[in-house]
Amino acid sequence: MKKTIRDMRPVYVVGIGLHKYQHMSDTTFVTLGLTAVREALRDAGIEYRSVESAYTGTALIGMAVSRPILRHLGASGIPMAQVENASASGSTAFRQACLDVGSGISDVSLAIGVDKPAPLAAAASKANIRDLVGARVVPFTHFALLANEYMNRYGVKPEQVAAVAVKNNRNGERNPYAQRQKAVTLEEVMAGPPISGSLTRLQCCPVGEGAAAVIVASEDGIAKLGIDRSRAVKVIASVTRTERVYRGAKNFDAELTRETVAQAYEEAAIGPKDLDLIELHDAFTIEELLYVEAMGLCGEGEGAAMIGSGATDIGGKCAISASGGLLAMGHPIGPTGAGQIAEITRQLRGEAGARQHPNARIGLAHMVGIGAVCVVHILQKGA
Amino acid sequence: MPDQTLAQPALYTSEAAPKLNGGRCKSCGYVFFPPQTYGCEFCGATAEQLEQVAIAGLGTLHSFATVHLHQDRSGKGLQAPFTVGLIVLDDGPAVRAILTERTDEGLHIGDRMHSVLAAAGTNDEGKQIVELRFAKTEAAR
Repeated sequence: MKKTIRDMRPVYVVGIGLHKYQHMSDTTFVTLGLTAVREALRDAGIEYRSVESAYTGTALIGMAVSRPILRHLGASGIPMAQVENASASGSTAFRQACLDVGSGISDVSLAIGVDKPAPLAAAASKANIRDLVGARVVPFTHFALLANEYMNRYGVKPEQVAAVAVKNNRNGERNPYAQRQKAVTLEEVMAGPPISGSLTRLQCCPVGEGAAAVIVASEDGIAKLGIDRSRAVKVIASVTRTERVYRGAKNFDAELTRETVAQAYEEAAIGPKDLDLIELHDAFTIEELLYVEAMGLCGEGEGAAMIGSGATDIGGKCAISASGGLLAMGHPIGPTGAGQIAEITRQLRGEAGARQHPNARIGLAHMVGIGAVCVVHILQKGA
Repeated sequence: MPDQTLAQPALYTSEAAPKLNGGRCKSCGYVFFPPQTYGCEFCGATAEQLEQVAIAGLGTLHSFATVHLHQDRSGKGLQAPFTVGLIVLDDGPAVRAILTERTDEGLHIGDRMHSVLAAAGTNDEGKQIVELRFAKTEAAR
């Protein structure tokens, strides 16, 4: 009989930590990673020697990233591995840590995300399968094409798509870990240098460096280490899928999101109406509209109106990208998915300060990555 | 055309209205582009089930975007701005291609499109390089 994470023993997030997302600098990946891990250990109130396994989500740094960071916490001999899953690397590292604890192999596991920008090509570019456009179509043009299709199909204006960047930068202004911490007006977003199609610079996420760390524990681990149970957040769904063949010009990221989120809802026994918070893959403004629809928060073509209504603001019906999302907090690749878990945990604990979404009980984290892959987690307060 | 050389001869023919070199799975009928012989993405059939198929360069414009930011390190390739289209071919596959028009003026989703060979620089021997692009098909009068 197959199992989901709900059939295993309960898994709780007990510690979160971040290194600010920022432009590439001289800071080493070791310092980035250590900053996040030490903060997560302090947050959980535990020592590194209590951690029993570690998974590092990273795509761009190189071979064997974990131990050069973690040895400086006192080499304890624990199992460690790197997890590379494109933009969803940090999300997948978190899932591995959850499975480690849920299965009973560990009582306490650490998921890290860490990266620094580097010109590393995706493996698919070495498959010797060429297309007509090659490097002349990069992700921003892929999403500009989707924006063009969406606006035409539903009669949506470029300003309505750009409004996503206004909301997410407003949230990012209140996030000390965000790469962009400056609120912007719709006029500023629209006036920015054009990048591709209707997408302007501020409608494309910054890719810099940073780190995020999440510690998960079993009930035994929480009891054994005397961790504050009232701040623990339960993982009630962990689902990952990859792209199938979708005929014609169907948007694979939205289709894949639809399938993966549906499975996560089933696993958590909740529906879209139960969500108080969502952190999603808003690398480009148009994605937020496509994914809120694919997640069933509103009907097809209603995403722009929903964002415009304020329903997805902090304090609205369901706060989307309260951290600032990829658009404002940034997208340093490896850390991004783990950083989403940190944000949702902080919000569910009621510790998000100036960007706190009131009465947050259930949050969903969503990342897609080149491949295409999709990883979704649902977290619940207390429980 | 002896004084012309195709940028990607594996992907299309040298006719004035170039066909695309696609693939078809004899096992499940799936038609795909670009061509590959590793195995069918739809059903998993192996190379011996995959045959080459000529795909007509005719289709409908599904979406388009004019690219304003593009770094071509060689300096010899296409410089921004240029326009990319996603075209759903009449034979099934959807392909992204460079359009002959460099702006999106006059383009509309649903426009009929056809393939052409367009100049795309010169090679080291001074020969004209041509590549497959798509152009808007004006309605017959």
